[in-house]
Amino acid sequence: MAQAIAPVEPVQTWRRFLTQETIVTVIVGLIVAVAVILPLITLVVSSFLVLDDLGFDTEWGLENYILLYTDRVIPKAIFNTFIISSGTMILATFLGVSLAWINARTNCPWADYLEPYNLIPFFLSPFVGAIAWHNLASPRIGLLNVWYRDFFGAEGYLLNVDNLWGVIWVTGLFFTPLVYLFVIGSLRRMDPSLEDSARTTGAGLLRTTLTITLPLVTPAILSGAIIVFVTSAGEFGVPFKLAAPYGWETLTTQIFTKAVGDDANHYLGATMSMVLGVITVILIWVQRVYIAPRSYTTVTGKGFRPNVLDLGKWKWVAFGFNLSYIFVAVVLPIFCLFIVSLHPVWTAEIIPSDMSMNNYVKTLFWWREDSIRAATDGIINSFILAFSGASIAMVLALVVSYMIHRTKGFGSKVLDILCVIPIGFPGIVLAMGVLVTYIQTPIYATLWILLLGYITRFFPYGQRNIASIMLAISEELDQSSRMSGATWFTTLRRITIPLLKPGIFAGWVLLFVIFLRELSISIILYSTGTETISVGVYYLANFENEALTSALSMTQTVVLLICIYIFRRVAGKEALSA
Amino acid sequence: MNTEDKNYLVVDQLVKWFGSDRAVNGISFSIEKGSFLTLLGPSGCGKTTTLMSIAGLHAIDAGEIRVGDTIYTSREKKIFLPPEKRDIGMVFQSYAIWPHMTVKQNVAYPLEIRKLHADEIDERVNKVLELVGLSEMAEKLATQLSGGQQQRTALARAIVSNPRLLLFDEPLSNLDLKLREQMRVELKRIQNEVGITSIYVTHDQSEALVMSDEIIVMSKGRIEQRDPPLAVYSKPVNEYVSQFIGVANLLKGKVLSEAESGKGKVDISTSITGLSCDCLLSSEMKKGDEVVVSVRPENVSVSRDNTDSSGIEGKVNAAIFMGNCVDCRITSGSYEWKVLTHPRENLNEGDRVFLHLDPEHTLAVTP
Repeated sequence: MAQAIAPVEPVQTWRRFLTQETIVTVIVGLIVAVAVILPLITLVVSSFLVLDDLGFDTEWGLENYILLYTDRVIPKAIFNTFIISSGTMILATFLGVSLAWINARTNCPWADYLEPYNLIPFFLSPFVGAIAWHNLASPRIGLLNVWYRDFFGAEGYLLNVDNLWGVIWVTGLFFTPLVYLFVIGSLRRMDPSLEDSARTTGAGLLRTTLTITLPLVTPAILSGAIIVFVTSAGEFGVPFKLAAPYGWETLTTQIFTKAVGDDANHYLGATMSMVLGVITVILIWVQRVYIAPRSYTTVTGKGFRPNVLDLGKWKWVAFGFNLSYIFVAVVLPIFCLFIVSLHPVWTAEIIPSDMSMNNYVKTLFWWREDSIRAATDGIINSFILAFSGASIAMVLALVVSYMIHRTKGFGSKVLDILCVIPIGFPGIVLAMGVLVTYIQTPIYATLWILLLGYITRFFPYGQRNIASIMLAISEELDQSSRMSGATWFTTLRRITIPLLKPGIFAGWVLLFVIFLRELSISIILYSTGTETISVGVYYLANFENEALTSALSMTQTVVLLICIYIFRRVAGKEALSA
Repeated sequence: MNTEDKNYLVVDQLVKWFGSDRAVNGISFSIEKGSFLTLLGPSGCGKTTTLMSIAGLHAIDAGEIRVGDTIYTSREKKIFLPPEKRDIGMVFQSYAIWPHMTVKQNVAYPLEIRKLHADEIDERVNKVLELVGLSEMAEKLATQLSGGQQQRTALARAIVSNPRLLLFDEPLSNLDLKLREQMRVELKRIQNEVGITSIYVTHDQSEALVMSDEIIVMSKGRIEQRDPPLAVYSKPVNEYVSQFIGVANLLKGKVLSEAESGKGKVDISTSITGLSCDCLLSSEMKKGDEVVVSVRPENVSVSRDNTDSSGIEGKVNAAIFMGNCVDCRITSGSYEWKVLTHPRENLNEGDRVFLHLDPEHTLAVTP
């Protein structure tokens, strides 16, 4: 079996830097750096530009920042944002921790079957949730209020979601899975002997829970709570639907009015984005530096069977609590959307004889004369964006993960930070950055600018999906391929990518879902002809009626549900918790 | 044998920094073609770093590595051959069997990379699978294999292309004791059969002793000793090697006198009052030099009476029955001896005994 290998020409140093590995990684690194840093720099710079009264010229100054507390609306908007974020944080943390504890640590019946449904809101659009809840519980036309009046012959209303409390309610329901996902890992992976040894020292159940279990999970709870605070501060759809029309402005709704519309002032919009951005950066920094490292329970990779608490009769209360969450967060809104969408016009009354699929025809059948362009274009554009965006983002994510976790040079540390920045930034802030950066270029008002915004903001999600698997598979698998004589690229193609395939696909579907429902970037960057589904919903809500809005919302929801199903089938339970 | 075969692999003044640590501190060695060399040392001694430098899995900071007439890497000549061009087979600590491929696909991979004809690939893969005893398992996925089978697959993959060098990075450390002992012999047999020059990295001294033609003992990025296994064990050059390889009684002392060449008397009164002993000295040791006397536990003999009054009096502190021997701790003065005795001697805790040192097996080494 002798096979002589011809002596190989030694590679000189300067050529050493022109290997496949360095060429690809340098190019991708530069793309990522430009995509992430450029909008942020432009945003910061723009925030110091002041538009003159005529709205043509700008000069340097701090007037935008002074407006933050002298303006008629902005200070209140900042205050409202704070109220909403705090309220949402409390509600989502309470629900998320309770559900995680019930599912992981008690004998609640059928907990395994309930879990996937607990997570559904994570994938759906909060904006659509707000529309559904508006139809359920606005004072005049809310279905629940109508029923209340009919059954009890009462006057007025039972529930009102058209205010800050409504925003907190809906956002809280939708962000509960965020906390859940943070906490469930700690609860499941906790070494049961930690609690058992407390019990053997004589500590009772309550005392063990308070002195051992809770402190061990606290870092995860705090992390989840901070992420919810930050995410709801950047949430646009829900306050736009439930609060802004009734006089409760928030930072995001104000940024929106400054980005588009009659009194557009991108520079003031940029300044307000800075406020949101700075709050976010500080909180995310606190989470990563002070809280995440204190997470004790995720260190061991061992699979434990956590202690399960026998709730006795109370297990049915836990079960009921869990079902109620699924009912108000998933079942009721979707049911309401469906009912409303069947009516020609929603008059707060279910009229079976009026029901038809006409609204779906108008929003789906793009070839028909009476179709609504904003809706039909939106669907097509969203699919184009979701498909190409997820594909490009995953390629980027793959190379970037490789650089961070395999190449390990100077550039990898920089890239690691670059990948954290977009995750922290609210979509609407990043979109403002992208808008002010590219408004003078040909890509403005095309799908390209949306694609750029989507990928920049969300590719780190895909990157994390890949990175978690990449960290789990030994580097020696790559190295042994190189030792077998394969080049870097062949190794990537034949070893690395096949091993990462589940992660790549799970990440792809996750991004596809996110892009299909994306609102806060799209709403800033779209223009006529480049609407997305969510922009279409916005358009219908503003310029058409509730019934048409519900039809398109329903379409989006069904597509998302199908994606979730595929995601679960392919990726399994594990992919989510990564 | 010509000089080229004698110096088949040459590592010359290799230096590798990790941050501000010198992981490898200017080591040089060469290997004869077809031989089996072990780099032995505790973790952090630079053995794995040396191996990775030869493999090309990281760049080096100074020095040169060459095989035959091919320079693999040279800092001075600004040469770096990427790992895939070095024609090396390597067995990793984790085996690194690709889980998405069958055993056969794993083993065929290096040949596919070399663009061999499918028939030839098939033939060579079958041959090598037979050699490692995995013919039955060819179609199994890597995930269905036991640790030992993964190990064999990794070995088959490393040797299938008949590379110029075979590198082992602690390949047995993940196996349980029984299997490890079995694989030692197996690995050596296969290496003998294919005759590929091999470098083996381990921290397990018994592995090194069993398998190697030669052993290089390393510590803190430097070579302490290079010798065949027997010499490393019986003639350690310094205190470090004698306590790292096997177990040794080490007593601080001072050379009293040099007798005939290579022999002399050493004063060990700092350990045991008023005592000196005859031992083997190395050529550069002079009267008055600080040395350490090293005696293997199996080279201390024990008697109950002191007929020739040359024995060192001691008291048995502990006698631990190990099956084929009894591991005794015997104190004399302030020193506690480790002594291996035959079970027939029937030593018990508290017994008074006399220890005798054989000058031929009592070694003065540098501290």
